[in-house]
Amino acid sequence: MYSQAVSATPGQVRIRTLSELDISGIVAIDERLTGVYRPDVWERRVGYYIRRDADACPVAEADGKVVGFMFSDVRGGEFGLEETSGWIERFGVDPDYQGRSIGRRLFEAVVAHLKERGASVMRTIVDQKDEELASFLRAVGFRNAPLTALELPMSGASDGAAGAGKPGAASRPTGQKP
Amino acid sequence: MNVEQTTLPKKFHDAVLHWQRHHFPDYDLLPKYWEKYFPNEPEFCLCAKMEIGMGDTIEVGDRKGQPRMLKPAEMGEDAAGHLLAIIRAQASTEFGSIQQHEGTLARAQDDEDRFWVLRVMAEELRHGYQMFHMLTSQDWSSVSSQKAEEMVEEILSMRTGSHVLDAFNLDYDSFVDNVVFAAVIDRVGKYQLSMQRVCSYKPFAQSMPPMLREEAFHLAAGVIPLRRWVQRAAQGNELVTVSAIQKSFHKWFPRGLEMFGHEKGGESNVRFGFKNMKNAEAQSQYYDECRKMIADLNQRYVRARSPKLSPEQAETLVSRVLQDGTRDGVAREDLLELPDPRFFRRKGEPAWTLIGTRGEAFETVDGYLEHLKAQLPEAYLASRDMSLYIGTLREVVAGTLAPEQASKRMPSLKRVGGVCPCSKSVRWIVEEPGEAATPTPPAPDRVVPGAV
Repeated sequence: MYSQAVSATPGQVRIRTLSELDISGIVAIDERLTGVYRPDVWERRVGYYIRRDADACPVAEADGKVVGFMFSDVRGGEFGLEETSGWIERFGVDPDYQGRSIGRRLFEAVVAHLKERGASVMRTIVDQKDEELASFLRAVGFRNAPLTALELPMSGASDGAAGAGKPGAASRPTGQKP
Repeated sequence: MNVEQTTLPKKFHDAVLHWQRHHFPDYDLLPKYWEKYFPNEPEFCLCAKMEIGMGDTIEVGDRKGQPRMLKPAEMGEDAAGHLLAIIRAQASTEFGSIQQHEGTLARAQDDEDRFWVLRVMAEELRHGYQMFHMLTSQDWSSVSSQKAEEMVEEILSMRTGSHVLDAFNLDYDSFVDNVVFAAVIDRVGKYQLSMQRVCSYKPFAQSMPPMLREEAFHLAAGVIPLRRWVQRAAQGNELVTVSAIQKSFHKWFPRGLEMFGHEKGGESNVRFGFKNMKNAEAQSQYYDECRKMIADLNQRYVRARSPKLSPEQAETLVSRVLQDGTRDGVAREDLLELPDPRFFRRKGEPAWTLIGTRGEAFETVDGYLEHLKAQLPEAYLASRDMSLYIGTLREVVAGTLAPEQASKRMPSLKRVGGVCPCSKSVRWIVEEPGEAATPTPPAPDRVVPGAV
C-alpha cells in the first residue's frame, strides 16, 4: 500500500490512503471550492470507495488536515472496454494548497496502485467546458480517446445524487487549479 | 494488490459453516441482497486471502534484517508460543463479534445500516477463517499440545462471556452498540492489523493487508451511520439520541483501550518482530484518532443545527460549548465527548481507579456507581458484567483484593459450550471416516496481554 511507501516530504504534504475520518476534510474542500455544504453526498461517496478499494483513493494531508483527494477504481468489461481500466472519478485540492503539484502527486499514487491491480489504461470523462481540468489531465499524460460520451436527457427524471458524480466521470469543484 | 485465495480442508470449512448456521443465520441474506446494497462489487468469498509480493526481510525486532520465517518451528519456542496466543485471541475476537452483532442486527431502523453491518459480520467470519488457516496449515506442536482440530474446536465453542478479550464478552443492548462497536472496537482491530503487517512470521504478515482493506469498511460502517444519527439529532427528528450514542461510547471505549494490553507492555511483540509499536504508543495514537472522530461528529451536529456556520465557526462553537457550556442554543449535553482514558477501566495502569468521564476523581464506590449509572446505557447497567465489575471494585477499594488479581478475574462469565447446540453428541468439527482425532474439553480462558 502506498500509504506506507510515501511518507511526509519537505513540503509537509504526505499522500496516504483514504479513511472514513477524511469525510469532514473532503466536505470542507468541496465547500471551499463550490460554496455548497453537502456532507451527505460525500458520506455516500467515501463509503462507496472505501468498500471498493480505499487504496485507489489517495488523500493529501498537511499538518493533520486533508488538503486534496482523488477517487478512482479499477473496472473491466464496461462499455465494451474489455481491458482492465483504471477510472478517475473525483478529485479536489484545497485552494490554499493549489499550485504545489498535489494533484500530480495524487495522480501518481493512483497510477502506481492501479497498475499494481492490473490496469492497463487510465480513463476518465471530462466536461468539455472545463478547460482547466482537461489541461491538468493532459499535463499528466491523458490523450483524447477514440470514444464519445453520449447522453439522453430523460424528461421528468430526478437528478438523483446531485453532485455525487457519474461512475467514471472525472469531475471536480469549479474554480480550482489541480 | 495481488492476493492468493485458499480454502480450508473440508472438515474445518464445514465446521465454520456449521458454526455459522447456529450463530450467524442472517449470513444467508447477504448474497440475496448483495447487488442491491453493494452493486458491481466483487462477491463475498469465505476463504483465506494471502497477500503476494510482501517483503521477505524482517522489519523490526531482534531479527531485523533476517529473512521472514515461514514455519512456527523456525521462531523458537517463546516466540512461537507468543504468536500462537495472538492468533487464537484474534480468532476468538472475529467469531465473538459476530455473536455480538447477531443479537441486535435485526433491530436496525435503516436497511442500509443493517446490510452494512451484515457485510461486516461476513468479513469477520472470513477473518476468523483466516486465523483458522494460520492454525491448521502449519504444525504448532512445538509449542502446543493441542492439535489443530482441538484449537478450532475450542474457539468455535466460545460464546459471548467466554471469549479471550473483554470487549467480546459484552452483549449489545441495541443497534446503537452495533454501530458504536464498529467505530470504536473495530478501530482497535485496524491498529492491531496495521502493526502486525510487519510480522516476522510471513504467513501472518501476508494475512494482514486483505484483512485491513476489509476493516477499513468496518470503520466506515460505524462512523457514517453515526454521522447521520447526529445530523438527525441536531435537526430534532432523531430516534437515536446523542445521549444514547454517548453512553454507548462510555461502554465500549474503555474496553477498546484495554485491547491494546497493559500500557507498560508490548515489548515482546516488538522484540519478536510481530508488531512495530509497543502498547502505550499504539494506544495513544488510537486515543487521538478517536478524538478526531468525536470532533467530526460534533462538527456534523453543529452544522446540521446551524447550516450557515462556516467549518471554522462550527469548530469554535464546539470548543466554546465544551469549555463554557451552552452557547447559541447548543448545550454541552448535545455534543459528544471522549471519556477520560482512566474512566471505567478494569485492566491496565488505571485499572480500578474511581475516575469519571471527565477525569474527576470519586471518593467512594457508591459515589462512583452513581456516576456510572448516569453515564452508561441503562440496559448495560442491568447486566451480569456490571454486577461483577462493581462487586470486584468494592473488594479492590476495600483492600481485600489486589488490583492485579481483580484484573485477572475479568472476564469470568464462563459460558463455554463444548458441543454443537443442535446435538449433545456432535461437535463443530465432524471427522472424516478414518480420522480419529478426539477433541479435548476446552482449555480455560487465557488472557493474552497485548494480543487481539
